[in-house]
Amino acid sequence: MSDQSEINQLVDHLFRHESGKMISVLTRIFGSHNMDLAEDVVQDSLLEAIKQWPYKGIPDNPSSWLFMVAKNKALNIVSRDKYKRQYSKEMSHFLQSEWTLEPTLNHPFTDQEITDDQLRMMFTCCHPSISPDSQIALILKTLCGFSIPEIAKAFITTEETINKRLVRARQKIRDNGIPFEVPQGKDIAKRLETVLESIYLLFNEGYSASSGENLIRYEVCEEAIRLVKIIANNPVIENKSGVYALLALMQLNASRFKARQDVEGNILTLEKQNRSLYNYTLMEEGFSNLKRSTSAKEISIYHILATISAYHCSAVEYKLTDWKSILILYDKLVLIDNSPIVLLNRAIALAKVSGAKKAISELEQLRSSSILKSNYLFYSTEAEFFIELNLFSHARTALKKAIRLAPLETERRFLQKRLSDCC
Amino acid sequence: MKDFLLILKTEGSVWTDLSPEQLQKHMEHGTAYIGNLMKEGKLKSANPVDKGSRIVTDKNGILKDGPFNETKEVVAGYFLISAKDIHEAVEIAKANPIFKDIPTAIEVHPMMPVGGN
Repeated sequence: MSDQSEINQLVDHLFRHESGKMISVLTRIFGSHNMDLAEDVVQDSLLEAIKQWPYKGIPDNPSSWLFMVAKNKALNIVSRDKYKRQYSKEMSHFLQSEWTLEPTLNHPFTDQEITDDQLRMMFTCCHPSISPDSQIALILKTLCGFSIPEIAKAFITTEETINKRLVRARQKIRDNGIPFEVPQGKDIAKRLETVLESIYLLFNEGYSASSGENLIRYEVCEEAIRLVKIIANNPVIENKSGVYALLALMQLNASRFKARQDVEGNILTLEKQNRSLYNYTLMEEGFSNLKRSTSAKEISIYHILATISAYHCSAVEYKLTDWKSILILYDKLVLIDNSPIVLLNRAIALAKVSGAKKAISELEQLRSSSILKSNYLFYSTEAEFFIELNLFSHARTALKKAIRLAPLETERRFLQKRLSDCC
Repeated sequence: MKDFLLILKTEGSVWTDLSPEQLQKHMEHGTAYIGNLMKEGKLKSANPVDKGSRIVTDKNGILKDGPFNETKEVVAGYFLISAKDIHEAVEIAKANPIFKDIPTAIEVHPMMPVGGN
Protein backbone atom coordinates (compact mmCIF):
# COMPACT_ATOMS: atom_id res chain seq x y z
CA MET A 1 0.00 0.00 0.00
CA SER A 2 1.32 3.43 -0.83
CA ASP A 3 0.91 6.83 0.68
CA GLN A 4 -1.88 8.85 -0.95
CA SER A 5 0.14 12.04 -1.26
CA GLU A 6 2.98 10.14 -2.89
CA ILE A 7 0.48 8.69 -5.36
CA ASN A 8 -1.05 12.08 -6.07
CA GLN A 9 2.40 13.45 -6.77
CA LEU A 10 3.22 10.59 -9.10
CA VAL A 11 -0.07 10.98 -10.94
CA ASP A 12 0.54 14.72 -11.29
CA HIS A 13 3.95 13.99 -12.74
CA LEU A 14 2.56 11.35 -15.11
CA PHE A 15 -0.26 13.62 -16.13
CA ARG A 16 2.24 16.27 -17.13
CA HIS A 17 4.49 13.88 -19.01
CA GLU A 18 2.25 11.16 -20.41
CA SER A 19 -1.14 12.71 -21.04
CA GLY A 20 0.00 14.67 -24.10
CA LYS A 21 1.35 11.50 -25.65
CA MET A 22 -1.77 9.49 -24.88
CA ILE A 23 -4.13 12.21 -26.10
CA SER A 24 -2.15 12.53 -29.35
CA VAL A 25 -2.22 8.81 -30.04
CA LEU A 26 -5.91 8.50 -29.27
CA THR A 27 -6.76 11.57 -31.35
CA ARG A 28 -5.18 9.91 -34.36
CA ILE A 29 -7.42 6.89 -33.84
CA PHE A 30 -10.61 8.79 -33.06
CA GLY A 31 -9.99 11.64 -35.50
CA SER A 32 -9.27 15.28 -34.68
CA HIS A 33 -13.00 16.04 -34.38
CA ASN A 34 -13.10 13.65 -31.41
CA MET A 35 -10.18 15.29 -29.59
CA ASP A 36 -12.29 15.89 -26.48
CA LEU A 37 -13.12 12.18 -26.35
CA ALA A 38 -9.39 11.42 -26.27
CA GLU A 39 -8.91 13.97 -23.51
CA ASP A 40 -11.73 12.41 -21.48
CA VAL A 41 -10.34 8.88 -21.80
CA VAL A 42 -6.94 10.02 -20.58
CA GLN A 43 -8.43 12.02 -17.72
CA ASP A 44 -10.46 8.96 -16.66
CA SER A 45 -7.37 6.76 -16.72
CA LEU A 46 -5.55 9.07 -14.34
CA LEU A 47 -8.53 9.12 -12.00
CA GLU A 48 -8.49 5.34 -12.15
CA ALA A 49 -4.85 5.42 -11.04
CA ILE A 50 -5.68 7.62 -8.06
CA LYS A 51 -8.47 5.22 -7.09
CA GLN A 52 -6.63 1.94 -7.60
CA TRP A 53 -3.02 2.55 -6.66
CA PRO A 54 -3.60 3.18 -2.94
CA TYR A 55 -5.05 -0.36 -2.64
CA LYS A 56 -3.26 -2.33 -5.31
CA GLY A 57 0.07 -0.53 -5.05
CA ILE A 58 1.86 1.47 -7.71
CA PRO A 59 2.51 -0.75 -10.76
CA ASP A 60 6.10 -1.46 -11.83
CA ASN A 61 5.73 0.66 -14.92
CA PRO A 62 3.14 3.32 -14.13
CA SER A 63 3.16 4.95 -17.55
CA SER A 64 2.56 1.72 -19.44
CA TRP A 65 -0.16 0.88 -16.91
CA LEU A 66 -1.82 4.19 -17.81
CA PHE A 67 -1.49 3.54 -21.53
CA MET A 68 -3.08 0.13 -21.02
CA VAL A 69 -6.01 1.54 -19.04
CA ALA A 70 -6.51 4.36 -21.55
CA LYS A 71 -6.46 1.83 -24.37
CA ASN A 72 -9.06 -0.35 -22.68
CA LYS A 73 -11.30 2.60 -22.01
CA ALA A 74 -10.98 3.59 -25.64
CA LEU A 75 -11.80 0.02 -26.62
CA ASN A 76 -14.98 0.10 -24.54
CA ILE A 77 -16.10 3.40 -25.98
CA VAL A 78 -15.49 2.28 -29.52
CA SER A 79 -17.35 -1.02 -29.06
CA ARG A 80 -20.18 0.75 -27.25
CA ASP A 81 -20.92 3.38 -29.83
CA LYS A 82 -19.40 1.86 -32.90
CA TYR A 83 -22.23 2.97 -35.13
CA LYS A 84 -22.96 6.32 -33.55
CA ARG A 85 -19.60 7.96 -33.98
CA GLN A 86 -17.52 8.77 -37.01
CA TYR A 87 -13.87 8.08 -36.36
CA SER A 88 -10.82 9.05 -38.36
CA LYS A 89 -11.23 8.05 -42.01
CA GLU A 90 -7.98 6.15 -42.03
CA MET A 91 -8.88 4.07 -38.97
CA SER A 92 -12.62 3.84 -39.29
CA HIS A 93 -13.00 0.41 -40.89
CA PHE A 94 -10.41 -1.12 -38.57
CA LEU A 95 -12.35 0.19 -35.57
CA GLN A 96 -15.55 -1.33 -36.88
CA SER A 97 -14.39 -4.92 -37.08
CA GLU A 98 -14.14 -7.25 -34.11
CA TRP A 99 -10.93 -8.69 -35.55
CA THR A 100 -9.09 -5.43 -36.02
CA LEU A 101 -10.43 -3.17 -33.25
CA GLU A 102 -8.08 -4.39 -30.55
CA PRO A 103 -4.97 -4.65 -32.75
CA THR A 104 -5.68 -1.09 -33.92
CA LEU A 105 -5.60 0.21 -30.39
CA ASN A 106 -2.59 -1.94 -29.51
CA HIS A 107 -0.62 -1.01 -32.53
CA PRO A 108 -0.04 2.75 -32.39
CA PHE A 109 1.52 2.85 -28.94
CA THR A 110 5.14 2.66 -30.12
CA ASP A 111 7.66 5.39 -29.30
CA GLN A 112 8.16 6.58 -32.87
CA GLU A 113 4.46 6.85 -33.53
CA ILE A 114 3.82 8.57 -30.22
CA THR A 115 6.33 11.22 -31.25
CA ASP A 116 4.83 11.50 -34.75
CA ASP A 117 1.36 11.85 -33.30
CA GLN A 118 2.50 14.69 -31.07
CA LEU A 119 3.85 16.44 -34.15
CA ARG A 120 0.50 15.93 -35.90
CA MET A 121 -1.19 17.34 -32.83
CA MET A 122 0.98 20.47 -33.01
CA PHE A 123 -0.04 21.10 -36.60
CA THR A 124 -3.70 20.48 -35.81
CA CYS A 125 -3.68 22.81 -32.77
CA CYS A 126 -1.82 25.50 -34.73
CA HIS A 127 -4.06 25.53 -37.78
CA PRO A 128 -4.16 29.12 -39.09
CA SER A 129 -7.96 29.23 -38.77
CA ILE A 130 -7.65 29.02 -34.96
CA SER A 131 -6.81 32.26 -33.14
CA PRO A 132 -3.30 32.43 -31.61
CA ASP A 133 -4.69 32.66 -28.05
CA SER A 134 -6.75 29.54 -28.57
CA GLN A 135 -3.85 27.77 -30.26
CA ILE A 136 -1.60 28.06 -27.24
CA ALA A 137 -4.36 27.20 -24.79
CA LEU A 138 -5.06 24.07 -26.83
CA ILE A 139 -1.38 23.11 -27.00
CA LEU A 140 -1.06 23.42 -23.23
CA LYS A 141 -4.21 21.37 -22.66
CA THR A 142 -3.73 18.57 -25.18
CA LEU A 143 0.05 18.30 -25.53
CA CYS A 144 1.46 19.50 -22.23
CA GLY A 145 -1.01 18.09 -19.69
CA PHE A 146 -1.90 21.45 -18.18
CA SER A 147 -5.19 21.77 -16.36
CA ILE A 148 -7.54 24.65 -17.11
CA PRO A 149 -6.74 26.38 -13.76
CA GLU A 150 -3.02 26.09 -14.52
CA ILE A 151 -3.43 27.56 -18.00
CA ALA A 152 -5.48 30.38 -16.49
CA LYS A 153 -2.69 31.10 -14.01
CA ALA A 154 -0.03 31.04 -16.70
CA PHE A 155 -2.03 33.52 -18.81
CA ILE A 156 -3.13 35.61 -15.83
CA THR A 157 -6.76 35.23 -16.80
CA THR A 158 -9.89 33.40 -15.63
CA GLU A 159 -10.65 29.71 -16.03
CA GLU A 160 -13.81 30.67 -17.85
CA THR A 161 -11.84 32.58 -20.49
CA ILE A 162 -9.52 29.63 -21.05
CA ASN A 163 -12.43 27.25 -21.25
CA LYS A 164 -14.10 29.42 -23.88
CA ARG A 165 -10.91 29.51 -25.94
CA LEU A 166 -10.65 25.73 -25.79
CA VAL A 167 -14.28 25.22 -26.77
CA ARG A 168 -13.91 27.61 -29.69
CA ALA A 169 -10.73 25.90 -30.87
CA ARG A 170 -12.27 22.41 -30.80
CA GLN A 171 -15.33 23.76 -32.58
CA LYS A 172 -13.11 25.17 -35.35
CA ILE A 173 -11.38 21.83 -35.73
CA ARG A 174 -14.74 20.07 -36.09
CA ASP A 175 -16.41 22.64 -38.33
CA ASN A 176 -13.48 23.10 -40.67
CA GLY A 177 -12.60 19.41 -40.70
CA ILE A 178 -9.00 20.22 -39.77
CA PRO A 179 -7.17 16.93 -40.28
CA PHE A 180 -4.81 15.26 -37.84
CA GLU A 181 -1.73 15.33 -40.02
CA VAL A 182 1.54 17.00 -40.83
CA PRO A 183 0.95 19.01 -44.02
CA GLN A 184 2.79 17.96 -47.17
CA GLY A 185 4.64 19.69 -49.97
CA LYS A 186 4.45 23.46 -50.40
CA ASP A 187 2.17 23.96 -47.42
CA ILE A 188 4.59 22.69 -44.85
CA ALA A 189 6.89 25.73 -44.70
CA LYS A 190 4.03 28.17 -44.15
CA ARG A 191 2.28 25.92 -41.63
CA LEU A 192 5.51 25.27 -39.77
CA GLU A 193 5.91 29.01 -39.39
CA THR A 194 2.55 29.20 -37.60
CA VAL A 195 3.48 26.30 -35.34
CA LEU A 196 6.81 27.93 -34.40
CA GLU A 197 5.11 31.28 -33.81
CA SER A 198 2.62 29.67 -31.45
CA ILE A 199 5.27 27.81 -29.53
CA TYR A 200 7.33 30.98 -29.26
CA LEU A 201 4.27 32.79 -27.93
CA LEU A 202 3.79 29.92 -25.49
CA PHE A 203 7.39 30.22 -24.35
CA ASN A 204 7.02 33.96 -23.86
CA GLU A 205 3.91 33.45 -21.74
CA GLY A 206 6.05 31.35 -19.46
CA TYR A 207 9.13 33.50 -19.65
CA SER A 208 8.01 37.12 -19.69
CA ALA A 209 6.23 37.67 -16.39
CA SER A 210 7.09 36.26 -13.01
CA SER A 211 4.02 35.90 -10.85
CA GLY A 212 3.82 33.70 -7.77
CA GLU A 213 3.35 30.70 -10.03
CA ASN A 214 6.97 30.64 -11.04
CA LEU A 215 7.07 26.88 -11.12
CA ILE A 216 4.22 26.62 -13.62
CA ARG A 217 5.83 29.29 -15.76
CA TYR A 218 9.11 27.44 -15.88
CA GLU A 219 7.28 24.28 -16.88
CA VAL A 220 5.59 26.20 -19.71
CA CYS A 221 9.06 27.12 -20.96
CA GLU A 222 10.29 23.54 -20.63
CA GLU A 223 7.29 22.26 -22.56
CA ALA A 224 7.84 24.79 -25.35
CA ILE A 225 11.43 23.54 -25.64
CA ARG A 226 10.30 19.91 -25.62
CA LEU A 227 7.84 20.54 -28.46
CA VAL A 228 10.39 22.30 -30.65
CA LYS A 229 12.81 19.42 -30.03
CA ILE A 230 10.21 17.03 -31.42
CA ILE A 231 10.07 19.16 -34.58
CA ALA A 232 13.87 19.37 -34.74
CA ASN A 233 14.19 15.58 -34.56
CA ASN A 234 11.63 14.88 -37.26
CA PRO A 235 13.09 13.77 -40.61
CA VAL A 236 10.02 14.86 -42.64
CA ILE A 237 10.74 18.54 -42.09
CA GLU A 238 13.62 19.51 -44.31
CA ASN A 239 14.47 23.13 -43.69
CA LYS A 240 15.11 23.35 -39.97
CA SER A 241 17.15 26.52 -39.83
CA GLY A 242 14.32 28.46 -38.15
CA VAL A 243 13.52 25.51 -35.87
CA TYR A 244 17.08 25.38 -34.53
CA ALA A 245 17.16 29.16 -34.16
CA LEU A 246 13.97 29.15 -32.09
CA LEU A 247 15.25 26.24 -30.02
CA ALA A 248 18.51 28.13 -29.40
CA LEU A 249 16.62 31.29 -28.46
CA MET A 250 14.45 29.45 -25.94
CA GLN A 251 17.29 27.44 -24.45
CA LEU A 252 19.55 30.48 -24.07
CA ASN A 253 16.78 32.47 -22.41
CA ALA A 254 15.61 29.59 -20.23
CA SER A 255 19.17 29.02 -19.03
CA ARG A 256 18.90 32.36 -17.23
CA PHE A 257 15.38 31.74 -15.90
CA LYS A 258 16.23 30.85 -12.33
CA ALA A 259 18.63 33.73 -11.82
CA ARG A 260 15.97 36.32 -12.60
CA GLN A 261 14.48 36.36 -9.12
CA ASP A 262 15.93 36.45 -5.65
CA VAL A 263 14.84 34.06 -2.90
CA GLU A 264 11.93 36.34 -1.98
CA GLY A 265 10.67 36.32 -5.55
CA ASN A 266 11.83 39.85 -6.36
CA ILE A 267 12.78 40.56 -9.96
CA LEU A 268 16.50 40.89 -10.63
CA THR A 269 17.64 42.76 -13.73
CA LEU A 270 20.45 41.39 -15.89
CA GLU A 271 22.81 43.68 -14.00
CA LYS A 272 21.94 42.22 -10.59
CA GLN A 273 21.72 38.56 -11.58
CA ASN A 274 24.11 36.06 -10.05
CA ARG A 275 25.53 34.52 -13.20
CA SER A 276 26.70 31.40 -11.41
CA LEU A 277 23.00 30.46 -11.13
CA TYR A 278 22.66 30.20 -14.90
CA ASN A 279 21.99 26.71 -16.21
CA TYR A 280 25.15 26.18 -18.25
CA THR A 281 24.15 22.78 -19.61
CA LEU A 282 21.06 24.30 -21.18
CA MET A 283 23.11 27.26 -22.37
CA GLU A 284 25.58 24.93 -24.11
CA GLU A 285 22.70 23.22 -25.92
CA GLY A 286 21.46 26.65 -26.93
CA PHE A 287 24.85 27.61 -28.36
CA SER A 288 25.16 24.41 -30.37
CA ASN A 289 21.63 24.79 -31.76
CA LEU A 290 22.45 28.37 -32.71
CA LYS A 291 25.44 27.05 -34.64
CA ARG A 292 23.22 24.45 -36.34
CA SER A 293 20.70 27.15 -37.31
CA THR A 294 23.20 29.01 -39.45
CA SER A 295 23.40 26.24 -42.07
CA ALA A 296 20.79 27.95 -44.26
CA LYS A 297 21.29 31.40 -45.74
CA GLU A 298 18.06 32.87 -44.47
CA ILE A 299 17.88 34.93 -41.31
CA SER A 300 14.71 34.85 -39.26
CA ILE A 301 13.67 36.89 -36.23
CA TYR A 302 14.59 33.85 -34.15
CA HIS A 303 18.15 33.90 -35.48
CA ILE A 304 18.60 37.52 -34.48
CA LEU A 305 16.94 37.21 -31.08
CA ALA A 306 18.90 34.04 -30.31
CA THR A 307 22.16 35.77 -31.20
CA ILE A 308 21.27 38.73 -28.96
CA SER A 309 20.53 36.29 -26.17
CA ALA A 310 23.83 34.54 -26.87
CA TYR A 311 25.68 37.85 -26.33
CA HIS A 312 24.02 38.22 -22.94
CA CYS A 313 24.84 34.62 -22.03
CA SER A 314 28.47 34.84 -23.07
CA ALA A 315 29.17 38.02 -21.08
CA VAL A 316 31.07 36.85 -18.00
CA GLU A 317 29.73 39.83 -16.13
CA TYR A 318 27.19 42.53 -16.92
CA LYS A 319 29.87 45.20 -17.45
CA LEU A 320 31.42 43.10 -20.19
CA THR A 321 28.23 42.86 -22.27
CA ASP A 322 28.98 43.57 -25.93
CA TRP A 323 26.30 46.24 -26.44
CA LYS A 324 27.76 47.41 -29.76
CA SER A 325 27.16 44.02 -31.36
CA ILE A 326 23.74 43.82 -29.72
CA LEU A 327 22.79 47.20 -31.19
CA ILE A 328 23.86 46.07 -34.66
CA LEU A 329 21.61 43.03 -34.27
CA TYR A 330 18.68 45.22 -33.21
CA ASP A 331 19.27 47.35 -36.30
CA LYS A 332 18.95 44.18 -38.39
CA LEU A 333 15.88 43.12 -36.46
CA VAL A 334 14.18 46.47 -37.12
CA LEU A 335 14.46 45.76 -40.84
CA ILE A 336 12.29 42.64 -40.40
CA ASP A 337 10.10 43.80 -37.53
CA ASN A 338 9.88 47.48 -36.68
CA SER A 339 7.16 47.08 -34.07
CA PRO A 340 7.25 49.48 -31.09
CA ILE A 341 8.32 46.69 -28.70
CA VAL A 342 11.40 45.94 -30.83
CA LEU A 343 12.21 49.64 -31.06
CA LEU A 344 11.86 49.95 -27.29
CA ASN A 345 14.35 47.13 -26.80
CA ARG A 346 16.65 48.68 -29.35
CA ALA A 347 16.58 51.93 -27.36
CA ILE A 348 18.04 50.09 -24.35
CA ALA A 349 20.99 48.90 -26.42
CA LEU A 350 21.31 52.36 -27.92
CA ALA A 351 21.50 53.92 -24.44
CA LYS A 352 24.41 51.61 -23.61
CA VAL A 353 26.28 52.47 -26.78
CA SER A 354 25.43 56.14 -27.40
CA GLY A 355 24.17 57.34 -24.05
CA ALA A 356 20.79 57.76 -22.36
CA LYS A 357 20.16 61.17 -23.89
CA LYS A 358 20.12 59.78 -27.41
CA ALA A 359 17.90 56.90 -26.26
CA ILE A 360 15.37 59.27 -24.68
CA SER A 361 14.92 61.14 -27.94
CA GLU A 362 14.32 57.76 -29.66
CA LEU A 363 11.66 56.97 -27.08
CA GLU A 364 9.93 60.29 -27.78
CA GLN A 365 9.09 59.00 -31.23
CA LEU A 366 7.46 55.92 -29.72
CA ARG A 367 5.43 57.74 -27.10
CA SER A 368 2.30 57.96 -29.25
CA SER A 369 2.30 54.23 -30.09
CA SER A 370 -0.91 52.71 -28.79
CA ILE A 371 0.73 49.43 -27.77
CA LEU A 372 3.36 51.14 -25.65
CA LYS A 373 0.98 53.71 -24.13
CA SER A 374 -0.49 51.02 -21.92
CA ASN A 375 2.72 49.04 -21.41
CA TYR A 376 4.61 49.64 -18.17
CA LEU A 377 7.89 48.64 -19.83
CA PHE A 378 7.89 51.86 -21.85
CA TYR A 379 7.77 53.98 -18.69
CA SER A 380 10.13 51.83 -16.64
CA THR A 381 12.68 51.96 -19.47
CA GLU A 382 12.27 55.70 -19.76
CA ALA A 383 12.75 56.00 -15.99
CA GLU A 384 16.03 54.08 -16.15
CA PHE A 385 17.33 56.52 -18.78
CA PHE A 386 16.33 59.50 -16.61
CA ILE A 387 18.03 57.95 -13.58
CA GLU A 388 21.22 57.58 -15.58
CA LEU A 389 21.10 61.31 -16.39
CA ASN A 390 20.28 62.17 -12.74
CA LEU A 391 16.90 63.57 -13.80
CA PHE A 392 15.17 62.13 -10.74
CA SER A 393 11.89 64.03 -10.85
CA HIS A 394 11.33 62.92 -14.45
CA ALA A 395 12.19 59.39 -13.40
CA ARG A 396 9.66 59.52 -10.55
CA THR A 397 6.85 60.60 -12.90
CA ALA A 398 7.67 57.78 -15.30
CA LEU A 399 7.92 55.19 -12.52
CA LYS A 400 4.54 56.19 -11.10
CA LYS A 401 2.97 55.63 -14.51
CA ALA A 402 4.75 52.30 -14.79
CA ILE A 403 3.49 51.18 -11.37
CA ARG A 404 -0.09 51.97 -12.39
CA LEU A 405 0.25 49.85 -15.53
CA ALA A 406 2.31 46.88 -14.29
CA PRO A 407 0.09 43.78 -14.17
CA LEU A 408 2.00 41.75 -11.61
CA GLU A 409 2.69 42.28 -7.93
CA THR A 410 6.38 41.37 -8.32
CA GLU A 411 6.74 43.95 -11.06
CA ARG A 412 5.04 46.65 -9.00
CA ARG A 413 7.26 45.80 -6.03
CA PHE A 414 10.33 46.11 -8.21
CA LEU A 415 9.22 49.50 -9.57
CA GLN A 416 8.28 50.74 -6.10
CA LYS A 417 11.81 49.96 -4.96
CA ARG A 418 13.22 51.87 -7.92
CA LEU A 419 10.95 54.79 -7.00
CA SER A 420 12.29 54.90 -3.46
CA ASP A 421 15.83 54.95 -4.92
CA CYS A 422 14.96 58.16 -6.74
CA CYS A 423 14.23 60.25 -3.68
CA MET B 1 1.66 -5.16 -54.66
CA LYS B 2 -1.61 -6.88 -55.36
CA ASP B 3 -4.75 -7.40 -53.32
CA PHE B 4 -5.89 -10.82 -52.19
CA LEU B 5 -9.14 -11.90 -50.62
CA LEU B 6 -8.71 -14.61 -48.01
CA ILE B 7 -11.89 -16.46 -47.11
CA LEU B 8 -11.73 -18.48 -43.92
CA LYS B 9 -13.83 -21.62 -43.72
CA THR B 10 -13.94 -23.65 -40.56
CA GLU B 11 -15.55 -26.92 -39.55
CA GLY B 12 -17.66 -25.89 -36.61
CA SER B 13 -17.17 -22.57 -34.86
CA VAL B 14 -14.59 -21.31 -32.39
CA TRP B 15 -17.41 -19.68 -30.43
CA THR B 16 -19.16 -22.97 -29.68
CA ASP B 17 -16.44 -25.61 -30.00
CA LEU B 18 -13.66 -24.14 -27.85
CA SER B 19 -13.51 -24.03 -24.06
CA PRO B 20 -13.38 -20.53 -22.52
CA GLU B 21 -9.62 -20.95 -21.91
CA GLN B 22 -9.01 -22.14 -25.46
CA LEU B 23 -11.13 -19.29 -26.80
CA GLN B 24 -9.10 -16.79 -24.76
CA LYS B 25 -5.85 -18.16 -26.23
CA HIS B 26 -7.38 -18.20 -29.69
CA MET B 27 -8.26 -14.50 -29.41
CA GLU B 28 -4.80 -13.57 -28.15
CA HIS B 29 -3.08 -15.37 -30.99
CA GLY B 30 -5.47 -13.87 -33.51
CA THR B 31 -4.95 -10.36 -32.18
CA ALA B 32 -1.17 -10.75 -32.39
CA TYR B 33 -1.37 -12.14 -35.95
CA ILE B 34 -3.67 -9.36 -37.15
CA GLY B 35 -1.65 -6.74 -35.28
CA ASN B 36 1.46 -7.86 -37.14
CA LEU B 37 -0.20 -7.68 -40.53
CA MET B 38 -1.36 -4.16 -39.69
CA LYS B 39 2.08 -3.09 -38.55
CA GLU B 40 3.54 -4.32 -41.84
CA GLY B 41 0.84 -2.38 -43.68
CA LYS B 42 -0.43 -5.56 -45.36
CA LEU B 43 -3.94 -5.61 -43.96
CA LYS B 44 -6.59 -3.57 -45.73
CA SER B 45 -9.62 -4.92 -43.96
CA ALA B 46 -10.73 -7.98 -41.98
CA ASN B 47 -13.99 -9.04 -40.43
CA PRO B 48 -15.51 -12.10 -38.81
CA VAL B 49 -18.85 -13.26 -40.21
CA ASP B 50 -21.82 -12.82 -37.91
CA LYS B 51 -24.71 -15.29 -37.48
CA GLY B 52 -27.62 -15.23 -39.87
CA SER B 53 -25.96 -15.56 -43.29
CA ARG B 54 -28.36 -15.94 -46.21
CA ILE B 55 -27.85 -17.28 -49.70
CA VAL B 56 -29.61 -15.95 -52.76
CA THR B 57 -30.21 -18.45 -55.59
CA ASP B 58 -31.94 -18.47 -58.91
CA LYS B 59 -34.56 -21.23 -59.10
CA ASN B 60 -35.95 -21.37 -62.67
CA GLY B 61 -35.74 -17.60 -63.10
CA ILE B 62 -37.03 -16.80 -59.61
CA LEU B 63 -34.59 -15.35 -57.09
CA LYS B 64 -34.93 -16.91 -53.68
CA ASP B 65 -33.02 -16.36 -50.51
CA GLY B 66 -32.63 -18.95 -47.85
CA PRO B 67 -30.40 -19.78 -44.92
CA PHE B 68 -26.82 -20.45 -45.80
CA ASN B 69 -25.97 -24.10 -45.36
CA GLU B 70 -23.81 -24.06 -42.26
CA THR B 71 -24.12 -27.63 -41.12
CA LYS B 72 -20.48 -28.50 -41.62
CA GLU B 73 -18.43 -25.80 -43.24
CA VAL B 74 -18.78 -22.29 -41.88
CA VAL B 75 -17.49 -19.08 -43.47
CA ALA B 76 -15.77 -17.61 -40.41
CA GLY B 77 -14.62 -14.35 -41.92
CA TYR B 78 -12.44 -12.65 -44.50
CA PHE B 79 -9.16 -10.80 -44.80
CA LEU B 80 -8.38 -8.32 -47.55
CA ILE B 81 -4.61 -8.12 -47.75
CA SER B 82 -2.02 -6.72 -50.08
CA ALA B 83 0.94 -8.91 -50.91
CA LYS B 84 3.76 -9.09 -53.42
CA ASP B 85 2.35 -12.13 -55.18
CA ILE B 86 0.23 -15.23 -54.65
CA HIS B 87 3.13 -16.95 -52.87
CA GLU B 88 3.36 -14.29 -50.22
CA ALA B 89 -0.43 -14.27 -49.87
CA VAL B 90 -0.38 -18.03 -49.32
CA GLU B 91 2.38 -17.69 -46.73
CA ILE B 92 0.32 -15.08 -44.91
CA ALA B 93 -2.69 -17.43 -44.96
CA LYS B 94 -0.55 -20.32 -43.69
CA ALA B 95 0.65 -18.22 -40.74
CA ASN B 96 -2.91 -17.76 -39.47
CA PRO B 97 -2.98 -19.28 -35.96
CA ILE B 98 -6.57 -20.44 -36.43
CA PHE B 99 -5.22 -23.68 -37.98
CA LYS B 100 -4.08 -24.76 -34.52
CA ASP B 101 -7.50 -24.26 -32.97
CA ILE B 102 -10.09 -25.68 -35.34
CA PRO B 103 -10.17 -27.52 -38.69
CA THR B 104 -9.79 -24.70 -41.20
CA ALA B 105 -9.44 -24.06 -44.92
CA ILE B 106 -8.42 -20.65 -46.24
CA GLU B 107 -9.20 -19.73 -49.84
CA VAL B 108 -6.72 -17.27 -51.34
CA HIS B 109 -8.18 -15.26 -54.23
CA PRO B 110 -6.11 -12.71 -56.18
CA MET B 111 -8.16 -9.57 -56.87
CA MET B 112 -8.16 -8.30 -60.41
CA PRO B 113 -6.78 -4.76 -60.61
CA VAL B 114 -8.56 -2.03 -62.59
CA GLY B 115 -8.14 -2.73 -66.29
CA GLY B 116 -7.25 -6.39 -65.78
CA ASN B 117 -3.74 -7.79 -65.93
